[in-house]
Amino acid sequence: MIVCVAVVGHQNNPLYIQSFTEADDALKLHHIVHCSLDVVDERAPLLSITVNNPKKSSPTLNETFLGLLYPTENYKVYGYLTNTKVKLILVTTDLDVRDADVRNFFRKFHAAYVDAVSNPFHVPGKKITSRTFAERVSTIVKSFGLSSAS
Amino acid sequence: MMMMDPANSTLGRMLLDEITPVVMVLRTHLVEESSQKNQLSFIQLLSPFCNFNNIDVPVRTASDQPYRLKKFKLRLLYASDIRQPNIEVAKERLNQVITDTGEEDLSNLCSEPLQIEIVLNSSQNEFLPSWFQYFNKELVRTVSFSEHEAFDHPVTCLLAVSSWDEDPINKFVDLFNTNQLPSLLNDGAMDPKILKHFVLVHDGEEVPIERATKTLAEMRSTFGANCCHLLCINSSKDGSEEHENLWAAYKTDISHGQQLRCFLSSDDLDELKKFVQDLSSKHIIPHMEQTIRLLNQQVSATRKGFRNQIKNLWWRKGKDDGPENSAGPTYTFSSIESQIRVLGDYAFMLHDYELALSNYRLLSTDYKLDKAWKHYAGVQEMMGLTYFMLDQSRKDGEYCMENAFTTYLKIGSSGQRNVTRCGLWWVEMLKARDQYKEAASVYFRISGEEPLHSAVMLEQASYCYLFSTPPMLRKYGFHLVLSGDLYKKCDQIKHAIRTYKGALSVFKGTTWRHIRDHVHFHIGKWYGFLGIFDVAIKNMLEVLACGHQSKTTQELFLKDFLQIIQQTGRTYEVPKLQLPVINIPSVKVVYEDHRTYASQAAIHVKESLWRSLEEDMIPTLSSKSNWLELQSKILPKKFKESNICVAGEAIGISIEFKNPLQIPVSVSGVSLICEHSPVVSEPNANNSIGDQNGETSNKSATSGNSTSDTSLFTLSEADVALAEGETVLVQLTVTPIAEGTLKIVGIRWKLSGSLAGFCTFDSDLVRKKVVKGNRKAKRSTIDNLKFLVIKSLPKLEGFIHHLPETVYVGDLRYIALELKNPSKSPVKKLKMKVSPPRFLQIGHKEDLEVQFPACLERTSTRQSSLRSKTDKVSDDIFLFPEDTTIADGAPISWPLWLRAAAPGKISLHLSVYYEMGDISSVMTYRTLRLHFNIEVLPSLDVSFQINPRPSRLREFLVRMDVVNRSSSKGFQVHQLSSVGNEWEISLLEPTKVLPSDFLLAGQAISWFLKLKNCRSVTDQDSVSSLCPPEKAYVNLLRGSEMLFDLHSSPLSEFHHYERVHQRISEKEHEDTVDFILVSRSQSEENKCEFFFSHHICHSRQGTSSPIWWIMDGSRTVKHDFKEPFCVITLRMIVHNSSDDVVSVHCNPSDSAVNISSSGNVSAASGNEIGWHDFSLSNDIKITSDAPGPRVVKPMSSDTVLPFIWSASSSTHFTLEPLSSRETPMEICVFSPGTFDLSNYSLNWSISSPSDKWDNGDESRASSGTCQGHPFYTTVLQQD
Repeated sequence: MIVCVAVVGHQNNPLYIQSFTEADDALKLHHIVHCSLDVVDERAPLLSITVNNPKKSSPTLNETFLGLLYPTENYKVYGYLTNTKVKLILVTTDLDVRDADVRNFFRKFHAAYVDAVSNPFHVPGKKITSRTFAERVSTIVKSFGLSSAS
Repeated sequence: MMMMDPANSTLGRMLLDEITPVVMVLRTHLVEESSQKNQLSFIQLLSPFCNFNNIDVPVRTASDQPYRLKKFKLRLLYASDIRQPNIEVAKERLNQVITDTGEEDLSNLCSEPLQIEIVLNSSQNEFLPSWFQYFNKELVRTVSFSEHEAFDHPVTCLLAVSSWDEDPINKFVDLFNTNQLPSLLNDGAMDPKILKHFVLVHDGEEVPIERATKTLAEMRSTFGANCCHLLCINSSKDGSEEHENLWAAYKTDISHGQQLRCFLSSDDLDELKKFVQDLSSKHIIPHMEQTIRLLNQQVSATRKGFRNQIKNLWWRKGKDDGPENSAGPTYTFSSIESQIRVLGDYAFMLHDYELALSNYRLLSTDYKLDKAWKHYAGVQEMMGLTYFMLDQSRKDGEYCMENAFTTYLKIGSSGQRNVTRCGLWWVEMLKARDQYKEAASVYFRISGEEPLHSAVMLEQASYCYLFSTPPMLRKYGFHLVLSGDLYKKCDQIKHAIRTYKGALSVFKGTTWRHIRDHVHFHIGKWYGFLGIFDVAIKNMLEVLACGHQSKTTQELFLKDFLQIIQQTGRTYEVPKLQLPVINIPSVKVVYEDHRTYASQAAIHVKESLWRSLEEDMIPTLSSKSNWLELQSKILPKKFKESNICVAGEAIGISIEFKNPLQIPVSVSGVSLICEHSPVVSEPNANNSIGDQNGETSNKSATSGNSTSDTSLFTLSEADVALAEGETVLVQLTVTPIAEGTLKIVGIRWKLSGSLAGFCTFDSDLVRKKVVKGNRKAKRSTIDNLKFLVIKSLPKLEGFIHHLPETVYVGDLRYIALELKNPSKSPVKKLKMKVSPPRFLQIGHKEDLEVQFPACLERTSTRQSSLRSKTDKVSDDIFLFPEDTTIADGAPISWPLWLRAAAPGKISLHLSVYYEMGDISSVMTYRTLRLHFNIEVLPSLDVSFQINPRPSRLREFLVRMDVVNRSSSKGFQVHQLSSVGNEWEISLLEPTKVLPSDFLLAGQAISWFLKLKNCRSVTDQDSVSSLCPPEKAYVNLLRGSEMLFDLHSSPLSEFHHYERVHQRISEKEHEDTVDFILVSRSQSEENKCEFFFSHHICHSRQGTSSPIWWIMDGSRTVKHDFKEPFCVITLRMIVHNSSDDVVSVHCNPSDSAVNISSSGNVSAASGNEIGWHDFSLSNDIKITSDAPGPRVVKPMSSDTVLPFIWSASSSTHFTLEPLSSRETPMEICVFSPGTFDLSNYSLNWSISSPSDKWDNGDESRASSGTCQGHPFYTTVLQQD
């Protein structure tokens, strides 16, 4: 089950963070997402080397998926880095998650984010308050659970 | 990777310290007593000499490779200590360690959290708390002397007997009494046949040396010569020897400053040293070497080689069938596994790591096969350490540690402490190789169920994240927070604060508000527990304005915060308090200089509106200069830059308070902070404002303290209760009392009664809305809050009495303006102006006494309509009588008339200008501005329709439609008047009045009236000045004879403005008519009668022809047609109603004659009731220019004309303006019948256009043709 998704701006400021648990663990999830940024920071340069290396004209050219960032006891944290250095973070409790599922999730999540910030009333760098975005994300989150189950 | 010497790493040193041969010490209590003379235990006495940095003993490996042992250490332990430590005691001790170090930190506790840059740049050693090392060591020691490891097993037993003891030989034997030996030796975990060394401790002070030597000889003969030794101590008699530095490291229970009484002479020390060295190099090391050799041979014999391995495997496989023992098999000292372990550990202790490793490897497979997991893990652990000491095959080393770690974990709770030790070693191993990140995760894994230990481990983990490259600051912070939470759980608040403070340096200024708030809140709360309130409050303040948090969190934050505040027991002053949020750009300043305001409402009216109103009243404004320039002669130049206010008059500040929380907040005692400085006496023009500030600041009185100097100014206080998310505009005032300079510095308030917050208006932030004045745009904003206080001036106060809030359209009211000047100093030269004049008129002084509306009633004696506007300068500005002065609080009243001209919300403005009686004052004049709002509701809607009445000259039929548009109110329609004396109005049917007295809401009614124009040349210039004829009034109310004089003041004035307002075009037609409908109503409550007037101006009839005519003659003529024809003479009266000379040509036509025997021509022009054109009636119709609906049908040509116009009928004449002329007409009739004499036309043209004509009213033609009116005449045969 996905417990939390987050959008983090290029200055590592939280733009959107939403937990999908009943429990009051917002703070914990904030911390987990926040900590995962350390790993993103660590991996991002590696990623850009791969991207900028012309010799490796492999499928990794457009790779924005950072993979598993941060395995804790209870959670797995996955990351995704957009071209504008916005980080998308996923925290899940599922122990065996297929990479393809996560990639798929992030692709949809990214699309939703792009649509949300394309809103002319959205101020770049400010928190995403769009209700439509929230609804869409929660739909994606729900579908993630379904697709991995099937 | 950089090269490193394992022995010099932290772990290496730790291992060389901890994994060393153990010497079990057994002593009699007399030995202990002797050494206690030096305040040292026996072990402590020897300890300084047990650590050899360069012992330089030649050793041979098992394969006869010689090497020299450099670093060596012995661990001396009493037999009673050689056992597994009591867990509870150990735990207690560890907790004590933590608590103690927590106390030490107290001085740092309140310091600011470090900047993260500083943290990053500081080296590991200076940053890490030093007690971590000690704590870790203690933690490792909790699992010493376990049976599955051999390095804690004593190698040698040292038996010490004092020379004082009776029968020392027996004492030696008794000492090594197996019952008191450690369980390790007794339960078979290790070989009880241990190397023994016998020492006779000789206390030189007490016993003669002879006895000692004698005993020694006895010992030698009993136990063997080699293993006996005589140790002389306490040979110094006076006890003044000083050797403190030697023991400093070993004595933890004595503070450093304390002087030791020492009876040890330097000879004694030498002897001690030599003794221990001999013990090591001549006994222990050779013994160990020998044991290694022996064991190695055994192991080689039984286990090395292919054959042995096969055999071993086979044998072990067989053991598998036995019942599974959860603790694994037990190994006695004689078992080959134990021996291998001893061999490995001895080799390790003698730094022969290759040998150790090979044996550990051998052993680990055995243990694994035996499923002796604890043993296996222990061996794996040692393998890892051996790899580390060899500094080779790091992967293997880590693998072994990992293996050991997980295996210990696997065996459950009994292995927990082993897990910890193994983890700590592993961490050190990783740290030595700069693998901090991995080390951190190992620390994280160590943290088990014990919260306090976990806390320490997590804290250490966080530092690992900090020191990793690149530093992982977020994880650093997170782990510190986790650790802090655990510390808090164990009541180690100081440690908790320390960790959170570390976290703060990471989270400071982060946009992750949840995290930041959490840290600030908890750290604040904990400081509160410790009673360090100022720091607590400082941290709590950071989270107060937490609008993003949930409601419960906000409540919690606020509650705890207020609790801390209460604990301080005093009101706490906080600059820049975040709660409530002060919207500084919203600050509006209202003050009165020469402009004074009667009410708040007047302040909010745009300055431009006032200025346009006052334009003509204030002489300086009209001359295109501002008031400052006028008064600059009086005011020093520098004052020009400041705002001016008058002493005793309040300066108002309105400011927005916003509650960002979802919970209500109460704010009390809101007031301004002001600075007052007295007037600088010398008017130095060069003295800039900045200098003035600096000079006077010392003398200035600031109201920042709660006690403000009330002799200089007084402040108002306000209490505000802010609901969730509410924004409240707070009005505050400061009233300067003394002259000087007043500066508004800031604002201060009290939150929930206990926390005082204040906020200064930073000059950059204040964007004061300029409420008034000709302000230069370049002016710096800070000056806007600075006021020059001038001497007290008289100030008029104005009220309006009887001002209704809502009125109905047309309502005419009397209201009174009352002006009051509370001060002694008089004011004079009052002028007043009102706006809009359509709604508000200034009355006359006499109006004060009159009764309204009775005053408007027409009386025969009253000639008031002739009253001229003598006391008005112009239409706009009203001058009070010259002798009007106001002083001493005596009010004067002046009447005003209010008439609600149009529905809607109406703003009324009044401005009163007055001059100071006292010429010497700084300001010569002031203005009082009054502003009121009234709401006007719709009432009667009156419309008129006017049609000419064809049967009469210059008469009209008027239909008046009255609709009551109000929602509930009923009106009594009283009277209709036409304005001006050229009109006469009367009811068409005099009996037609309202069915009921009141026109109810929504009801409509129509009246039909006759209107007659009686304008003549003589009276056209003085329309309003003459007494109107009686006929201009129609009483519409049944049974009432009372009429109102509508030409009296103030109705005539209102009518004037109403006319101006309703003017349709520039050009005014002469033939328009104004009506005034008067209605009345009674209010339900007080039976008060209201008077309404409805003005409908510029009503027109629908014609543009200037001429009126009427045919007159006998209708019935009897004629004997024996005569050839009958001549009928008719008259036509033509009237010119225009102001121009009109030439008229009457043109009878014979071609078209409408004959009808029945005479019934039906040509209704409209079908409205009452507007039927009754065709056979005698009415004639005025025709329009274009052929109207009534078209005269041409007769067919073959019909014989029944009559002809006689020649004289065709005439041409001119008409003077407003004159009539009668012209005769004649027809000849040839047969009896009824004839329509409308077959003529009148051609008219304007012959002398006047000036007005040139101005061009295109709608009026200069000439036209009118068809004749129908006129029927009947000719009868005369009998």
